[in-house]
Amino acid sequence: MVQSIDWLYFLFSVATENNSNFLFSVATDAYNCARPHFESTPWSFLDFNTGGLLLHSRNVTKISMHLYPSSHSTPQAGDLLHVRAVGDNDTLHFLFCSQGAPTLLLIHTNSTSSEVQVNWPEFVARNTSGSLKVEPESSLQYSSAVVFSRLLEYDDVNDTAEPTSDLFPPYDLQNFTWNPINLSEPMALLCGADASFTNGSLCLQLSVFDSEGRGEAWPHLLHSVNSSQLEVWLDGIPARATHSRFLLEMHAVGEAYPLSTIDVYQSIDDEYTPSIFKVSQWVSSVNGSSDVLGYALWKPVAYRQARPALEDATPCRHSVPWAQSGSMVTASSGLIRAFFSDPESMALNVSFGLAGEPFYNVTRFLSWTLLVGVGSPPVDSFSPLVVAIMAVGLGIPMIILLVGGIWLCIRKSKGASSTSYVPIN
Amino acid sequence: MADLEERQRLLGDEDRGSGPGRPMLAICDPSHLLHRLVVLFFMCFLGFGSYFCYDNPAALQSQVIQDLHLTTADFMQLYAWYSWPNVVLCFFGGFLLDRVFGVRLGTIIFSLFVCAGQVVFAAGAWTNHFWLMEAGRFIFGIGGESLAVAQNTYAVNWFKGKELNLVFGLQLSMARVGSTVNMNIMGWIYNRVTDAVGSPGHTVLGASLMIAAITCVFSLICALVLGFLDKRAERILNKEQEGTGEVIKITDVKHFPAPLWLIFIICVGYYVAIFPFIGLGQVFFIEKFSFSPAEARAVNSIVYIISAPASPVLGFMVDKTGRNVYWVLLAVAATLAAHMMLAFTFWNPWIAMSLLGVSYSLLACALWPMVAFVVPEHQLGTAYGFMQSIQNLGLAIISIAAGAILDSKGYLVLEVFFCACICVGLMAGVLLYFVDYIKGGDLNLSATARAKLSKEASTDAEKERRPSKPTQGELARLAPMSAFGLRNRYLSRLGAQIPDHCSSHLSSLAYRSVLK
Repeated sequence: MVQSIDWLYFLFSVATENNSNFLFSVATDAYNCARPHFESTPWSFLDFNTGGLLLHSRNVTKISMHLYPSSHSTPQAGDLLHVRAVGDNDTLHFLFCSQGAPTLLLIHTNSTSSEVQVNWPEFVARNTSGSLKVEPESSLQYSSAVVFSRLLEYDDVNDTAEPTSDLFPPYDLQNFTWNPINLSEPMALLCGADASFTNGSLCLQLSVFDSEGRGEAWPHLLHSVNSSQLEVWLDGIPARATHSRFLLEMHAVGEAYPLSTIDVYQSIDDEYTPSIFKVSQWVSSVNGSSDVLGYALWKPVAYRQARPALEDATPCRHSVPWAQSGSMVTASSGLIRAFFSDPESMALNVSFGLAGEPFYNVTRFLSWTLLVGVGSPPVDSFSPLVVAIMAVGLGIPMIILLVGGIWLCIRKSKGASSTSYVPIN
Repeated sequence: MADLEERQRLLGDEDRGSGPGRPMLAICDPSHLLHRLVVLFFMCFLGFGSYFCYDNPAALQSQVIQDLHLTTADFMQLYAWYSWPNVVLCFFGGFLLDRVFGVRLGTIIFSLFVCAGQVVFAAGAWTNHFWLMEAGRFIFGIGGESLAVAQNTYAVNWFKGKELNLVFGLQLSMARVGSTVNMNIMGWIYNRVTDAVGSPGHTVLGASLMIAAITCVFSLICALVLGFLDKRAERILNKEQEGTGEVIKITDVKHFPAPLWLIFIICVGYYVAIFPFIGLGQVFFIEKFSFSPAEARAVNSIVYIISAPASPVLGFMVDKTGRNVYWVLLAVAATLAAHMMLAFTFWNPWIAMSLLGVSYSLLACALWPMVAFVVPEHQLGTAYGFMQSIQNLGLAIISIAAGAILDSKGYLVLEVFFCACICVGLMAGVLLYFVDYIKGGDLNLSATARAKLSKEASTDAEKERRPSKPTQGELARLAPMSAFGLRNRYLSRLGAQIPDHCSSHLSSLAYRSVLK
């Protein structure tokens, strides 16, 4: 079923300004830096999609990543990363862009040969939509984007963790200076800083997956081939008050149905994310239908250390999503401007820390992980360890009881038959 | 006023020269009920400090972990260090009281250990030295369990043949009150200290624990007063010192029959799923069930609260019905169900914890007396000592394991782990049923059959020993059956109510781990 998985990354060092009609297209002209080949995996076994509307039993046969770098002469323009995950009969495109506010765009197409075409000068100019499009256009099934727009900070003097007042002027992520995207195998790292930061940075790390599994670090989110994982962290950013707490503002953008409602599920299973019993799912669905088109999923926990222990977990909360005008998001993100013509948008704040939790200044680090995907979110199930322990634990007493009971019955009936002879003797 | 003082001085004079027959104020007369009530007051508060402080870490779990930057595994070391000394001391606590110190000096010494332990513990928190806190818990552990033995020895000394059951019941209630008050008040104290100091931190934690140490000082004062009153009573009444009556012979271990080992396994498998769980419970209820800290503390202490009234009732029930193995199996199964509820559902934890409280009390009433059925009287001390010793060993090890599991795998796996421990107990329980059935043992007899058997045995014992009796061991087992009080004497460990006429040989061996 699977031929090979190639981790390619394409580095274009083209002076794009010189060629105004240059089109970047996916599988052409690439400088193929042969990345390590992954071993073949039995995909049918790992195919564990929970049955989304469009993506039932999807296999990924090939994932390729490539990077559209901006010319280094124009430091203002950010990078565009394109990850193409080809399935048996569809393709999922992940686009991650640092032009303006960091944006992740997911495009699902029903063709294995669909391509993303970018008119780079127009894309950089950021004034028209359509500079990034899917070819053939008819293959487009669903698209959804998440934009990280602002970082808010407030002084929580009374330790209430209620960001009602005392908000500092927010950091606009579109005004950050973003470093070039750093590709490392299945991951891409984007770090940036505000001009006012003396040191420290805000980083986003995108991971795309060729099989179902779990993230390596806490919160070990369960991912499928239809999802990508974004880890966001603040590292060493100077706090403007000793009692500072942070909020992250996100936008969900879609042509018709952006992520809208948030469902918070209780989960009894905290094996992979100790002490966290909830999962938040921000889903998009067609007018109240139960079919989920796409989702952003997270556990309400952030970690205060890069290598966290259980005690470094700090709870987080999200606000109720509110509708936001599409034009505002379009202005802040180059990718949204390039792809969507008339987007709808919902906004959401995630606030880190509850009353009584240590402030940001204690460790000067916060990391939070988000899963973004199309179709239905992956559903957790008990690990084999838990099932095995319970089965053995409950099974053995039952077996002892059963065997012992049968043995006693036999003994009794034998005993009864032998005593029945006693009177004759 | 002066008149009163004069009278008291006169009375004091009278006291010194008093012999029997001389009139004395009732409250000063050691043979009078009123005076014994005063003694009872001090006796009850003798253990209050140690019960209060034992669960300090559980009551302040999140604060301890946060202020000292601990992992949960580190935190559970505090419980493990309490258990380590008792792995050994279970054998020697009674011996030390009887032969080395005597009950008065022994009580004072153990109280001092408790006090010093708590102060060292608090000082460790104050100065942010975790090793010092562990040392404090170790010292505290040396005193804690043995103090419970001393407390019961005093009870026997003063109330033997009189109101002893009531006294045991009261002491038990005080133990539970201590634990419950601690669970519900320490968080409040911590918050008040935080308000006074300004911001939370290890000094606030140290200060709160120092405040908790006041209860230990109070208990130490009770020990001193009791020592004085006991000495005075001995002088006035010329009464004898009553020992714990405990005889420990380690070599007896190799003669322990198979059912006793199964009882040990049940005991360890069961209790390791209770105490470490309560130690970690507060944060569990907060995080899984979104309880407020106060609510979480309340639900965490419900096990103690329920077992106070349930123990005598269930004890009476088990006594009247017999069939201990069934009761044990029922209790273990109910506990397993409670833990599975906590693990796999979001049902209100009050249900599971109440079930846990009832089944915990039932197990205590049904399991501990069984030991007296399977070993001859002269080995009982050793058997109980051994049982508590391995129980403490299990608690120490499982506490550490539980903390480590929680740190890396979370509460579900931790609960599953506790379920597995109880399943081990359940296996041993089922095996015990069959082994007892095959051996024709009397563990699972009904109370009437048992009474009949003991009647026969007593008539047998009066007769000459018949050669047809198969083994010496069986004789040894049957002969003491004549003494119904024998079994009952060990019931005192559980705080179960004992008929007055049966308590002539009441042992005072009651350890915290059993009494709780």
